Amino acid sequence: MAQAPGAPKAEPSKLPPFTRKLLRWSFTIGIIPPVALVAALASKNVYYLDYVHVITGGTWTGFDLYMGLVMSQILRSLEIPARVEIAKRLTPTTFFIIPSLASTAITSGIYLAQDFGKFDLGSPWIMAAGVVVLILVAQGFGVFLPNGVRIFLELAKSKPNVELISKLTIRNVRLAASQAVFQVVIILIMAHLAIY
Amino acid sequence: MALNTDALIAVVAFAGALLFVFGLLYRGAAGSVARGELGSEGIRILRWALLGYLAIFFVLALTALLT
Repeated sequence: MAQAPGAPKAEPSKLPPFTRKLLRWSFTIGIIPPVALVAALASKNVYYLDYVHVITGGTWTGFDLYMGLVMSQILRSLEIPARVEIAKRLTPTTFFIIPSLASTAITSGIYLAQDFGKFDLGSPWIMAAGVVVLILVAQGFGVFLPNGVRIFLELAKSKPNVELISKLTIRNVRLAASQAVFQVVIILIMAHLAIY
Repeated sequence: MALNTDALIAVVAFAGALLFVFGLLYRGAAGSVARGELGSEGIRILRWALLGYLAIFFVLALTALLT
């Protein structure tokens, strides 16, 4: 990207040296759920497919509950510089892991519902699950992901706006709490679908 | 090899939403680079992040061919 003529030259990036390492770690863990799903489908084993769905969905829910109930209180009690230090580490570490868990849980859920003959789009329970999934996906792609990227971009600036970084981090953690509520609801729907 | 259309639609919808969001963010970041607020590493991180997500969704899209 060429710099505009006359624009001040950007100073060297302020991205901490551990950012790349944490991002690589996040990708290494984040690629495991979709690969496990490929293996489950290739093996034609419904038990294994169920396992992938339950563990990815459960981990996603657990993460959101932890963020919403634990991390939100910890962050709230910290001064802004300390929040920024947490954001510098939390954002790259969770960057690929959470979207990967969410996408794999949802995709494997579709396969599982089809396998059990429950993927009937006219069923009120499947419709309810679809609505909750849409809300979760909209929050993920509309707020979580852009906030995470904006935190990275802010950190890479020569003069990062620490207040903005702190605000975006708190917003993501609060959103995780609302995601946890929707996930508790979707687990209720899943439990119904599994039994009836 | 059968294609699972429902699952493929879900994965393509995820990937489409991702590309749309990244497109908006890239435009904003490119503006920051032009104004000299952001170094090239910011854009590089954005490209790597996009590649990482595309890799994850590519693997997920493969699953539509396995059912």
